Amino acid sequence: MPPHALTIDEASLSFGRFQALKSVSFAAEQGQLVTLLGPSGCGKTTLLKAIAGFLALDSGRIEIGGHDMTGIPPERRDTAMCFQSYALFPHLSVSDNIGFGLRQQRIGEAEIRSRVGTVAEQVSLVAQLAKLPGQLSGGQQQRVALARAMAVRPGIMLFDEPLSNLDAKLRDQVRMEIRALQRQHGFTAVYVTHDQSEALAMSDLVVVMRAGEIEQMGRPEDIYRQPKNRFVADFIGTANIMPVRVIGHDAASGLHHIESPLGRLTVRSEIAPVAKTIFACWRPEDAVLVAAGDETGPNRATLRVLSRTFLGSLCDLIVVTEGENPVSFRIQMHGFTPIAEGERITLSLKPEAIRFLGEAAE
Amino acid sequence: MSASFSVRPYLLLLPGLLPILAFMSLVIGMALSQSVGYFNFSGDSGFSLRFWHTVLSEQQFWRAFWYSARIALFSSLLSVALAYPVALWLRRPFAGSDLVSALIKAPILVHGLVAAFLYVNFISFQGFLNAALVHLGLVARPIRMQNDPYAIGVVILQVWKNMPFAFLILTGPVRAIGDDILDAARDLGAGAFARLRRVILPLTLRSLQAALILIFIGAAGDYSFQSVAGPTSLNSLAQYMVRIQQDNAGHGWNEAAVIAVMLMGLSLFGSAALAALIQFLLRRTGR
Repeated sequence: MPPHALTIDEASLSFGRFQALKSVSFAAEQGQLVTLLGPSGCGKTTLLKAIAGFLALDSGRIEIGGHDMTGIPPERRDTAMCFQSYALFPHLSVSDNIGFGLRQQRIGEAEIRSRVGTVAEQVSLVAQLAKLPGQLSGGQQQRVALARAMAVRPGIMLFDEPLSNLDAKLRDQVRMEIRALQRQHGFTAVYVTHDQSEALAMSDLVVVMRAGEIEQMGRPEDIYRQPKNRFVADFIGTANIMPVRVIGHDAASGLHHIESPLGRLTVRSEIAPVAKTIFACWRPEDAVLVAAGDETGPNRATLRVLSRTFLGSLCDLIVVTEGENPVSFRIQMHGFTPIAEGERITLSLKPEAIRFLGEAAE
Repeated sequence: MSASFSVRPYLLLLPGLLPILAFMSLVIGMALSQSVGYFNFSGDSGFSLRFWHTVLSEQQFWRAFWYSARIALFSSLLSVALAYPVALWLRRPFAGSDLVSALIKAPILVHGLVAAFLYVNFISFQGFLNAALVHLGLVARPIRMQNDPYAIGVVILQVWKNMPFAFLILTGPVRAIGDDILDAARDLGAGAFARLRRVILPLTLRSLQAALILIFIGAAGDYSFQSVAGPTSLNSLAQYMVRIQQDNAGHGWNEAAVIAVMLMGLSLFGSAALAALIQFLLRRTGR
C-alpha cells in the first residue's frame, strides 16, 4: 500500500504558554485537496507553516510521501506555498518569479524557459511575463504566486488563504481555476481558509479546527449534513441550533421523539442522543413551507415572520415561535416567496433534516 | 485650463527649489569662475587657464587627489561592509536589539574632531593602547602608531564615524523586506546564501548605493581626520587646498578653486562609478 502523500501524526506546537496545535492528526491521499478550516487563531496557518517547515513541532511528526520531515528545513521539503500576501519578489519579472524555484533546482535555462512558458499559459499570464509584480492586478499577482509554486512541481502545494485579498467575483474565478489546475495536475494540496463556502466548494477533505484541535473532518457534504457538534454546525453554513429533550425512541422506525421549541418533533439522526437533554440542529433550507389548510407533512410548526430579506435566488426569513418565550429561527426559501413580515406561516421539517449534536444541553 | 493645472505643482516647488539652486550655483559657479581667473582677490581678473595648468602639473596635487580617492573608497566600502551585516542581524527585533542599535548609532553624537583627538590620545606613544600592550607584555616598548603613513588611522576614524550613518540608511530597507518574501524564497529551495544573493541584496542595493555615495563624498572632502590623525607626509585634497590658498598669497584663491573643482569632480565621478557598480550588480543579482 503506497504511503499517504501527507501524514500529520499527533502534531503539537506551542508559542510560549499558548498551545497552538494540540495533537493534530490527519492524512491526505495523493491528489486530494484538503482544507484546514476554522476561525482566526484556530491553528490552521500554524499547521500549514509546520508542514512547510517554517515552524518546528514540539512533538508529533509530519510525513511527506512517507518520509519523516523532522529536522528537514523548508528549502529541502517537497512543498511549495502560495502565501496570503502572494510574497512575490518585487525586483523580479513575472517570468523570473515563476522561474525562481527552478533556478534553485539548477535546471537548464532552456528547460526553465519551457516550463515557465507552460505554467504561464495554464494560468493565462503569457502576456505579463516581462512585467514586474507591481504592474499587475491583485488577481494576476495571485496567479503568479500560483504559477511560481506550480512550476517546481511540488509533492504538496500549500495555500495560505490565497484568495482573501481578492474581491468576491475574482475570488470565485480564481477558486475555480485553482481547483481545475489541481484536478488537472493531480497535485496534493493543503488549503487554509476561514471561508466555509470556499472550503465546501473546493475540498476533497475538510478539516475543521478550533483552538488548535480538530473538531471534525470529512467530505464537505458530510461535514455540512452531519455536523458533530454545535461549533461545526454553526461554523459551516447557517444552522438553527436548539436545545431539545428526548422523550422516546421507536426502534422499529428508528425515529426519536423530542420536545423542542417548535413543539413535539420526530428525528432520524445518525448520531444517537448522548443525553436526555441535548442540542439538535437543522439547516434553514430544510424547512418546507406548508400551504394554509394543508394538513400533510411531518414535524409541523406555526411561526410568525419577524423579518424577510429578498436575496435574488433566495428569500431569507427570520421566524419566531409564539408563546411566552419566543425562539427565533432562520429559514431560506428558494425563489420569490410572497410572505409579508408579521404573517403567520406553517413549516414542516423532515425527520432526517434534524440532527442531534454530540453535546448535552446542560 | 489644463496647461495651467499641470504647471501649478512645479510652480509650487519653486520656493523650495530656487534657494537650493541659487546657493548651489553660487558656490559651484564661484569655484569654477575663480579657477579660470575670475574673482581674483589680488590681481587682474580675467579668463585664464594658467591656474589649472599650475595645479594639474603639480605632483603633490595628484598625490593628494589619489590619496583622497583611496581614503574615500576604502572608507565607504568598509563602512557599508560593516553596517550591512549588522543591519541584517538586527532585522528582526530580539531582546536587547534596541540597545545594540543605539550603541551602534552613538558615534553620530560625537563630533568628528573630538573623535579624532580621542583616537589620537588612545593610540599615542603614551596612550592607553600602548600602555595596555606593554602591560600585557605583548610589546617591549611603546609603538609609534600616530599619523601612520598608510592612513589606517584615518580610515578607522572614517569608518567609526560613517558606519552608524550607513547603518541608519540600510536599516529601513532591510527591515522592509517581508518575512513572507524570505519564506517564499526558502520554500522554493533557496538556502541562506541564495536568499542573501537573490532576494535581500537586490532589494537593498539602492540603499547600499545611497550609503556608499554619501560616505564617499564626505570622506573625499575630509579635512579634520586627516589633519589630526593622517600621515604627515601626505595631504588630503581639502588639506592641500587650504595649504595652497594660504601659501600662495598672489593667486592662492584661484589655485585653491581649481582644487575645489577637482574635489567636486572626484565626488561626482566617484559617486557615478559607485552607482554604476551597483547598477551592474543589480542586473546581475536576483535572477
